[in-house]
Amino acid sequence: MVEGESTVRVELPTGLREYAGGRDSFEVHAGTLADAVRALNARFPGLAYRLLDDQGRMRRYVLVFVNEDPVAHLEPEAVRLKDGDTVHIVPSVAGG
Amino acid sequence: MAAIKKGDTVVLVGTRKGLFLFHSRDRRRWQSRGPYFEGQTIRHAILDPRDGKTVYAGATSEHWGSTVARTTNFGGSWDLGKEGPRYSKESGLTVTRIWQIQPGADGDLYAGVEPAGLFRSEDGGATWASVEGLNYRPDREKWDPGAGGLCLHTVLPYPGEPKRMLVGISSSGVFGTSDGGATWREMNGGVRKYEGGGSFEDGKIGTCPHKIVRDARDPAILYMQNHVGVYRRARGDPQWTVVEDGLPKIEKKVPASFGFPIAAHPHDAGTAYVVPLEGDYNRVTPRGAMAVYRTRNGGKRWQRLSTGLPQKDAWFTILRDALRTDDGDPAGVYVGTTTGQLYHSRDEGDSWRLLADHLQGIQSVEAGTVGGR
Repeated sequence: MVEGESTVRVELPTGLREYAGGRDSFEVHAGTLADAVRALNARFPGLAYRLLDDQGRMRRYVLVFVNEDPVAHLEPEAVRLKDGDTVHIVPSVAGG
Repeated sequence: MAAIKKGDTVVLVGTRKGLFLFHSRDRRRWQSRGPYFEGQTIRHAILDPRDGKTVYAGATSEHWGSTVARTTNFGGSWDLGKEGPRYSKESGLTVTRIWQIQPGADGDLYAGVEPAGLFRSEDGGATWASVEGLNYRPDREKWDPGAGGLCLHTVLPYPGEPKRMLVGISSSGVFGTSDGGATWREMNGGVRKYEGGGSFEDGKIGTCPHKIVRDARDPAILYMQNHVGVYRRARGDPQWTVVEDGLPKIEKKVPASFGFPIAAHPHDAGTAYVVPLEGDYNRVTPRGAMAVYRTRNGGKRWQRLSTGLPQKDAWFTILRDALRTDDGDPAGVYVGTTTGQLYHSRDEGDSWRLLADHLQGIQSVEAGTVGGR
């Protein structure tokens, strides 16, 4: 773990598990939400593509909560994480 | 699961909720596979005619993005694709949907996406590069989205000439390249203007080309179902010519034959198919009766074909990619509805049978022969 990084848990929804080896929960070292996405992508290449749009923002119908706080509307680089945080990734309730 | 063998006909049906694969030895008895990509919209899937065994599917998850998936064993296993086409940071754009997949005459694979753009893959869809000469044209800001969104939905390589290609963008028109995608020229001359009368000039942005196909014998001859009518473009002619004799024209705003798809016969010159709808104000089969129309003389005259198709209470839409021919002799023709019926003809459209019912809304149909022909 490098300076400025924290140990956080990331919880994935059912729809993403096929891109993550079938797992639903990971512990990663990350200082920001962007770090956490990069850490996941290092383990499972392509997972970042499923989460981020072409501009590096969270995809339109992806919700992200750090503990209970919604952060998907923020730049992932700007979302600071601290030890013990849990990042919940959730598909928004949308569509038909 | 029944085996798929060389020489079988395979029909790929993209729906709002997954991909279905139908296959047959004789085009009478059909077996099905799927659905694949549960919950995802498949706007297009295609059997690569270059090898007759690789299937590409443009899978769009509204949550998790769009990729081109690939199978070489007809769905036994899929390579889902780690990343799909993506725009540059500088563009400010994000790919939301894949509308079209097309193997090129140059050996590459092409994808047409929303917002409208063309991408090229040299490794069978694993990685993608933007065709910058088209995607970042200076006039891009003038491209208008149609009701379906600003999408590049048609990619037409030119057989035997790898640097030539045309694309269709809704609702900006037809664009062609003859230098491998470095530069593109608008090909919209002669197409009716939606409002105000008159027609578009060649070399200018046009209106909504719903689908374009090449003639089976002369790839320089084009047929187009446009938002404002059905057209033919002769070899060497910079103008599109209206070819609607025999087609229903009950459009209230513009007296044109409205519809989405057009398909070319696989072998016969001058033979093409359309499925007219009532009009752009009511995009359903006219009077609740379904019919496919066929021309055998380059659009000079269209013939209504309805034997075996529902003639009462059939109020649905046929989308732009939901009409195709196979490469058999006689040609098979396949048409899918937004209410989930798949009809097929073994006799070039003279008669029809229901191949599948109760599917999700059909987005696309493609047919081909296993192992090529």
